[in-house]
Amino acid sequence: MRKHWGKKAMTMMIVSGLILGGCSGNGNGNGNSNSGSEKENTPSAAAGESAVKTDGFPIVDEPLKLKMFTRIAPANGPFKEMPVFQDYEKMSNIQVEFIESPTDGFPEKKNLLFASNELPDALYRSALSPLETVRYGSAGQLIPLEDLIDQYAPNLKALMEEYPEIRAGITSPEGHIYSIPGIVTLGSARTDKRWINKSWLEKLNLEVPETTDELYDVLLAFRDGDPNGNGQPDELPMTARKGLQIVNFMAGSFGLDLQLGYNININDGKVEIWSGSERHKELLMYLNKLYSEKLLDQELFSHTEAQYLAKQGTGNTGLFYDQTNNNFLPIMDQYVGIAPQAGPHDDRLQSNVAPVPRDFGAFAITSVNEHPEATMRWIDYFYGDEGSTLLRFGREGEHYEMKDGIPYYTEEFLAIEGAQGKMTPYAGGGAPHIINDKVASFINPPQVQEAYEQLEPYMPEIRYAAPMFDEATAQQVNVLRNDIDKYFEEQSTKFIVGALSFDKWDEFQATLKKMNLEELQKIYQEAYDKMAK
Amino acid sequence: MKSAQTSAASLTPSQPKRGSGLPRKIAKRYDLYLMLLLPIAWYLIFHYGPLYGLQIAFKNFNPAKGIFGSPWEGFGHFERFFDSYYFWRLLWNTISINLFSLLIAFPIPILLALLVNEIRSKHFSKWLQNITYIPHFISVVVIVGILNAMLSPTGPINMLIEALGGTPTRFLEEAGWFKTIFIGSNIWQNMGWQSIIYIAALSGVNPQLYEAAKMDGASRLRRIWHVSLPGIAPVIVILLILDIGHFMNVGFEKILLMQNNLNLESSDVISTFVYTTGVLKGEYSYTAAIGLFNSVINLILLLMVNRFARKTSETSLW
Repeated sequence: MRKHWGKKAMTMMIVSGLILGGCSGNGNGNGNSNSGSEKENTPSAAAGESAVKTDGFPIVDEPLKLKMFTRIAPANGPFKEMPVFQDYEKMSNIQVEFIESPTDGFPEKKNLLFASNELPDALYRSALSPLETVRYGSAGQLIPLEDLIDQYAPNLKALMEEYPEIRAGITSPEGHIYSIPGIVTLGSARTDKRWINKSWLEKLNLEVPETTDELYDVLLAFRDGDPNGNGQPDELPMTARKGLQIVNFMAGSFGLDLQLGYNININDGKVEIWSGSERHKELLMYLNKLYSEKLLDQELFSHTEAQYLAKQGTGNTGLFYDQTNNNFLPIMDQYVGIAPQAGPHDDRLQSNVAPVPRDFGAFAITSVNEHPEATMRWIDYFYGDEGSTLLRFGREGEHYEMKDGIPYYTEEFLAIEGAQGKMTPYAGGGAPHIINDKVASFINPPQVQEAYEQLEPYMPEIRYAAPMFDEATAQQVNVLRNDIDKYFEEQSTKFIVGALSFDKWDEFQATLKKMNLEELQKIYQEAYDKMAK
Repeated sequence: MKSAQTSAASLTPSQPKRGSGLPRKIAKRYDLYLMLLLPIAWYLIFHYGPLYGLQIAFKNFNPAKGIFGSPWEGFGHFERFFDSYYFWRLLWNTISINLFSLLIAFPIPILLALLVNEIRSKHFSKWLQNITYIPHFISVVVIVGILNAMLSPTGPINMLIEALGGTPTRFLEEAGWFKTIFIGSNIWQNMGWQSIIYIAALSGVNPQLYEAAKMDGASRLRRIWHVSLPGIAPVIVILLILDIGHFMNVGFEKILLMQNNLNLESSDVISTFVYTTGVLKGEYSYTAAIGLFNSVINLILLLMVNRFARKTSETSLW
């Protein structure tokens, strides 16, 4: 009993200790060896240059081995069975051993990796946040990549020259690049389409909704008009991904943009965080109306990703959002992509658009890596058409065939259920590679292209990516946003489901102010000023 | 491990007083002390060793520099926490969940034990005990899964409410329901298990006392009140103090699993906050400070209750 008590009473006291104390030994040990290897890196870089070729394959004559930490999505199989890594290993002479961590719990594993300083050679598909990148970069756990990109990454370098926003989006104020993003030059892959059930519209003799009021009427008709004809009120008028994604989709109809990777409007060079603004209130009131009248999925805040995707495939959903039609291919004819609706103030914007460097922090090289040049060359391949094709489509003949110079999956391959997700690491998102129109036959078929054309006129002129702050500012932003974002999310959810009445809006506003929203706005303004210069 | 400690303790005083002094005693009973080494090592390695890491609460922990090498921050992290918007909410939720648990959930195993003790039929009493133990062996994840299924808007409980003409409630998405569901399901899961100690203590009460009370004409309730309860009072006090010992950190996994944006108002507690901010967002120093604050409160509570118990009932841990 005494033992039991001691254990319990101490647990909290050493909650950090258990995790960090255990790591402290390693931390120190590794820390020393790190600084050692870091110093060695510089001279060995010169020696290594002769071994690593700047172009052509194999990358190295002597086979070498790298350890990479990666996220494995539910759709994926083991990475070592993927044709891309099997074939590329033979081609490059670099063997990669993946340490796989499932999507659930991935952020935890990633953070503990850094906290314990037990680093792999590189992080693949790691979704590092700008704060993490700067934090671990200035701590010396991630190495700066700008020189390596210059010398060993011709594909990436060319992309960065063509799209200057990439460099702006990933370079820290000190001028370092600590991570490489997944790059998406294909506009359609940077935004989710608005899919509406065309056959329901036709059945009920309705037009495509052009305004938010019309949208409301259409959803009402979906709910009550029995468009699926089974005599039961079981239609789901509208759904979206779990949580507050719906806010981002409807924001544009209320004049709210999502610049700088946050709730930000930019007018005449002035940065405005719109959380708590009048327009924000109107938006939430609109969503609350949809939710309380059961026009919006009642499971919006509880369904899982898998359940959401299944809802797309049933054909019993009126309106939902997704980048592609891949989740409802068998019933794709029922749906059509539409434009965003105009709101009460005639705003009409597709604000939920990602920047060209879409997947931030997708790849990074750590300080324990003894072959940073070879690693950079290894990853650069995927920023070219050939490498991206290998990554996304596998082997010619076995998985895909070429039509007009563009790869398409073969019918036989697509017929095997789940095979596509197991074959390529891009399924599940966030893989470091280029997505352009040459490798997008699957995610950008004609139907998706048409849906994208609907959205295009309403895209923001410029999409600014989340800015990179220096370490001190990043920490400050982090402290501010930890409280603000948590509060914003919690209260928004409550406003939408009606757990909090809009009488409390003033309180919401006042609390945001107390949490120093203005300070945060000032920081973003400064970052924007630097960026716009 | 405990038996090693007690037997070592009980045996040493009975030694003849030939040249006292610990080394001699140890030499004499070296085999028992050897057995004691294991628990001591356990505490040193797993409970005292990690205390070294606590210093990061006063530092800006940087993994590359290690715990010792990170720069000092002083009380900055504590100040940030005390100034945080969530401070009072976290503190209130942590304390209130545990306080209500203590007030409501603590007496129930005692009542159950008294009940079981009074049952004449051995068969029925065994059966009752087994039924109440079983939920203890279900994992937390499964328990929360059961709660989700039972309490969902389309689950059996809401169907029953609807059938009776009421309006369905989203039990798991309402802040007002969280504590009731959390504590209620805890009682259901643990009352049987926790009553074991009381049942054992009750079987140790001298039967002569019951017989004497019966002779004096005491009713059943009187016998429970005047014989059974005083008989197990020391056990109750000790268990109460033990419960206070982990007052501030009950049910972390279960709370985390039950949490969502809609019930956060009453489900956000210090331990889950430490997890979401510390482990998921990598703010180790800040959350180490919060964890330390939590433990200090717990320690103070424990000392207070122990002192109170010693004064009033002369039973205490030390």
